[in-house]
Amino acid sequence: MAPKLRKNSVGLGGWWRLWLSLLLGVVGLAASSAWAGGVRIDISKGGLTPLPIAVPAFVNLGAGGQVAAGGTMGSQVAEVVAADLERSGLLRPISRSAFLQMPDSLWKSGPQYRDWRVIGAEALVSGAARTEGDQVVVDFFLYDVFQGSLIGKGKRFTASQRNWRHVAHRVADEIYTRLTGETGYFTSRIAFVSQKGNTKRLATMDQDGANLVELTHGEHLVLTPRYSPDGDSLFYLSYATGAPRIFRLDLLGGTNTQQGDYGGLNSAPSWSPDGKRMAFTSSMDGNPRIYVKDVGGGQPTPLTDSASIDTSPSWSPDGRQIVFNSDRAGSPQLYVMDSSGGEPRRITFEGNYNAAPAWSPRGDLIAFVHGGSGRFRIAVISPEGKNMRVLTDSWMDESPTWSPNGRVILFSRQNGSRSQLYSIDLTGYNERLVPVGGGAEGSDPSWSPLIR
Amino acid sequence: MKRFGWLAVAVVSMGLLSGCGSTPKGGVDGDGSADGKGVGRLGGSSANLDDPSRRGAGAGGYRYDVNVEPEHRIYFEYNSALVNDRSAQVLAHNAGWILAHAPKKSVTIEGHCDERGTREFNLALGQQRADAVVRFLVSQGMDGSRLKAVSYGKEKPLVPSHDDSAWSKNRRAEIVLR
Repeated sequence: MAPKLRKNSVGLGGWWRLWLSLLLGVVGLAASSAWAGGVRIDISKGGLTPLPIAVPAFVNLGAGGQVAAGGTMGSQVAEVVAADLERSGLLRPISRSAFLQMPDSLWKSGPQYRDWRVIGAEALVSGAARTEGDQVVVDFFLYDVFQGSLIGKGKRFTASQRNWRHVAHRVADEIYTRLTGETGYFTSRIAFVSQKGNTKRLATMDQDGANLVELTHGEHLVLTPRYSPDGDSLFYLSYATGAPRIFRLDLLGGTNTQQGDYGGLNSAPSWSPDGKRMAFTSSMDGNPRIYVKDVGGGQPTPLTDSASIDTSPSWSPDGRQIVFNSDRAGSPQLYVMDSSGGEPRRITFEGNYNAAPAWSPRGDLIAFVHGGSGRFRIAVISPEGKNMRVLTDSWMDESPTWSPNGRVILFSRQNGSRSQLYSIDLTGYNERLVPVGGGAEGSDPSWSPLIR
Repeated sequence: MKRFGWLAVAVVSMGLLSGCGSTPKGGVDGDGSADGKGVGRLGGSSANLDDPSRRGAGAGGYRYDVNVEPEHRIYFEYNSALVNDRSAQVLAHNAGWILAHAPKKSVTIEGHCDERGTREFNLALGQQRADAVVRFLVSQGMDGSRLKAVSYGKEKPLVPSHDDSAWSKNRRAEIVLR
């Protein structure tokens, strides 16, 4: 057995470099932005040097805890873990074919650090999987190869066998947290609009694209799903009644309830962080404005009052403020106001189209769509309107949504006539296509909170 | 359009209403059927609904045939919901035609946008366009309670291309009779 109870010692060997490179990445980016007047980023995306990590197949254990031959669960779990870590852009799993120490030996005797150093691994994962009834139980250890020591303690995760991928994501979250100091985001799901032909359906999937579930049949146009803060339900827009109306779909019970029926447009639903209120857009009083109402019912209260278009509200994580876009000054720009209303403060002044803001769960940034010169790109800005950085470079990127840890932004990109989901690190590096199953197009993403 | 021309159009249309209309659908200002909605005719028979070019007419209600009846679409500038003079003329003709031939029908005004910009801003902009048309039609004597403004934002482009020409056709409001 592996050294389960060895004293917790956080090494300062290899992995502190990750901290350093993260820091450098941000500083370097700020410098290049400043050069270009704060709007353009260096799109060459040289980026960070990801930390090399070895994730061998987890061994399979029999009922008595001995390593058992055969079995695929351990290998599958390790593959999901490695894929999560790789996609983060912060870690680089080393090819298994390079490994010198075999998983059985690693698990039974602990690491031969020399074997891992020579292949360039700075961190190493050793794990085991076994089944107990319909449960899968996974134990793992994380090592600092240079220091020759454990990083943190061994940890065990359990779930039903059906949810074995969830266990793998838990392991990946734990590794990510121990190596970066940030909360992970791999145990999360994405709600989005899946499009095949002219048919749009509401769908959800794991953040890595697995476990796709279609939630509507496609008979009505559906748009803009929004995960509730507890991850149990979605707000979304449906034309089931012939006009855009907001619905709430309970993902556990399947109940679908319309959230009010106000004249004209009802759109842009946004959950308050406590899950009790909904900000949204309605033209019930003549012009598209922001309203707020209790999720359970009650009357909507107007928060804005202008002769312009006010829409796309998004709450600050403390629930005290709301950012939205308005064209009251002639073009769509971002404004921040108290969530009880009051005079909005304009925060964007560059570009002739700034819209669809999404307040980061960390509170320190707002992601949005930045339009100028006929291109619409994803950008971030502080809630005070400082340090705008444009992260992407395409002609029609939209619908930014944050990972639960506020590190990654998911958005949709139109390539020609095809819409696809992409993710990008808030530094502007590590842009990735997020695959959507079944050859469908994806748009309108909403990232769930952590699902534990 | 001159008044006499308008009356002539109305007379032809009444012929269609009585069920003898089988005039083939004409060139309808570049309709690429990208939105899955073809062009139906007021009073047109349901047999036409199987025609692939008319897909969706059952769900979307009738579109008039611009060769026979008043043009039923008006177009807008980028990020604007302003009804210009040319559009006002088109809408006045529509109001007159509907009052004369289909006074009991419900009328839906669909507001549409080109694909540039965000989904939610375009939903709001499409609403403003549809609302502007409703206000104009009411000013022409139509009953506001039979008019319904529905925004589709950028969801149903008329022309599926990605250039100025397509965008100018997609920034529109459409009058649909049910």
